[in-house]
Amino acid sequence: MPSFLDKAWSPYVAGVAIGLLQIPAFLMVETALGASSSYVTVGAFLASWGAPSLLKIDYVARHVVANAKNWWQVALVVGIAIGAFISMKMSGAKRHAISPIWTRALGSPSPALRYAVAFTAGFIMLFGARIADGCTSGHGLSGLAQLSVGSTVAVVAMFAGGIVVASLMLRRI
Amino acid sequence: MGTVALGVLSGLLMGIVFGFALEKSRVFEPGIIVGQMQLSNFIMLKVFLTAVATGALVLAVLNGFGFVKLQPKAALYAADAVGGVLLGAGIALAGACPGTTLAQIGVGYRDALFTLAGGLFGAVAFSYAQPWLDKALIGTGPKLIFSDLVGIPYWQGAIALAAAIVVLLFVMERLRPWRDDLRTDNDGNARSAVAESGGRMVPAE
Repeated sequence: MPSFLDKAWSPYVAGVAIGLLQIPAFLMVETALGASSSYVTVGAFLASWGAPSLLKIDYVARHVVANAKNWWQVALVVGIAIGAFISMKMSGAKRHAISPIWTRALGSPSPALRYAVAFTAGFIMLFGARIADGCTSGHGLSGLAQLSVGSTVAVVAMFAGGIVVASLMLRRI
Repeated sequence: MGTVALGVLSGLLMGIVFGFALEKSRVFEPGIIVGQMQLSNFIMLKVFLTAVATGALVLAVLNGFGFVKLQPKAALYAADAVGGVLLGAGIALAGACPGTTLAQIGVGYRDALFTLAGGLFGAVAFSYAQPWLDKALIGTGPKLIFSDLVGIPYWQGAIALAAAIVVLLFVMERLRPWRDDLRTDNDGNARSAVAESGGRMVPAE
């Protein structure tokens, strides 16, 4: 039986736990699991302090308005960090400050290089997710489960883009 | 309690479960995600497909009995394709997706803070470009689902999808047991496992 103290669970046990989260999402918030629109909510909320005109863009206004759905998703991703922290503490896992795979993948042990790549990657990732209107959670977990045609296109494109870039731009880990 | 406060509270609780499961499955590890994209590690696909199948079964019941309405996104083929490719490229270089970035921060991966910052800037940059991109690329589309195209009820299509995924996972697990992909530190880091066992590299395929 999987224990909270285990270092690793079967992907099937964890996958079922994640899939079951659709129940409270649909019943309580009338939405599907997703993560990437929270970046618009938080990013635009912070940026609007310096640039209030940002809030005049319809898309931004829709994402920062204080409704249950917007701030539910922000709370969800904050909860993800807390849950991962709790799990790590319970299993007693020790982590490096940067995963050791990056030295090989990037061909350099430089933390500055890794930080620059991570920042750029985060930028591209969210820019793309917002064009597609969803990420691994919204299009992947939720879209595929709902048999969405558009989400299927997005997920195929996501894996295609990921496989090409990981094969051509990163060294084999 | 207001609806926003209730939403935040339920989001926080669900997020904790989500993050716990992401950490336990190891799928949030850069080594697992990059390994998946290099087709040398299959834990990510296993967690992902299991969650999709579970979600499909759950929604087959909830929607089939009329408790909930489906919330599919509009099919915007150009945006889905272009955005999806960029998203995937970002995931490969970040070693994280928008959700797992937060799990990496939770366990103390320092580079994930830069992924998060880049993501927030990317989301704001998109917001500025959105009025233009909406006209040039994104547009509007119908909320298409496959079961409607085939002409069967959603619940039947969802059960069929879940069944197909279960068969696929059985085959994948036979070919590649999940424990083999954890490696020594449960982080998908292949080389240190080889170094410590003194063994030779086993080809991925």
